[in-house]
Amino acid sequence: MVKVIRSTILNAPVDAVWNVIRDFNGHDQWHPVVATSQIERGNASDMVGCVRRFRLEDGSELREQLLTLSDIEQSFTYCLLDTPIPLFNYVAHCRLFAVTDGDRTFWEWESRFDTPAGQQDELAATVGDNIYSAGFDAIRAHMGLEAA
Amino acid sequence: MARVYVSTVIGTSAPKVWERVRDFNALPRWHPRIRESRIEDALPSDKVGCIRNFNLQNGDNIREQLLGLSDYDLFCTYAILESPMPLTDYVATLRLTPITDGERCFAEWSAEFDCDPAVEDDLVDGIANNVFQGGFDALKRHFGG
Repeated sequence: MVKVIRSTILNAPVDAVWNVIRDFNGHDQWHPVVATSQIERGNASDMVGCVRRFRLEDGSELREQLLTLSDIEQSFTYCLLDTPIPLFNYVAHCRLFAVTDGDRTFWEWESRFDTPAGQQDELAATVGDNIYSAGFDAIRAHMGLEAA
Repeated sequence: MARVYVSTVIGTSAPKVWERVRDFNALPRWHPRIRESRIEDALPSDKVGCIRNFNLQNGDNIREQLLGLSDYDLFCTYAILESPMPLTDYVATLRLTPITDGERCFAEWSAEFDCDPAVEDDLVDGIANNVFQGGFDALKRHFGG
């Protein structure tokens, strides 16, 4: 089992960041690797259990299911259902915390998954750097935030 | 139930901040409002259940008991046994979390307690500003942040 964790500080109030990332179908609006996204069966994107089907810029298609969503804890959990990348039993968790000193946001994004033997390090770096860290930078750009 | 929550960013790694705050008897070394502290019954300060008996700069005496200490999750939980403050069932947690994109850490200090509703706002403000933020400001002066 591989564990990946990335975290950062955003120069914006926690409610403003939550407003953007709580939409499980909104990642094609801000994440650079996601080209298009839709929720299957016409479900609402904040319905726990809904499935997002999305296409990456390289053309590959993935499906992910929303497992938990909490407006109190400002967190959500999701898993991969179908993916061309060999990530198995992938469950990821995003959580925001208020930084009361300065009205900023602490954002933690983590996951656990299995991979074929020998690919652990490479896939952990891909997920951490290209998805999570790139996502942090993309949210900064999307919200017009300065680096914090 | 009254709640207090204060959080900040400190400009060094979580293990380095933890080294400074994990000692339950070390408040006088890093918190400007605490003058002196001892652990009762000569127990080690990292023995869960031990009691710290300390005096503030203004002379007030407080006794607090260590309820939980984790060198893995970097948190410490404690309860007030005796204090001049008009509150009961006070339990607080100080927690550090690494921030992976730089040499800094996220620090949270929170508490829950019961009190007369008429004094709740004053107690919450005093604990948030003087105790928690005051302690964080001292750590930020020491480490940057």
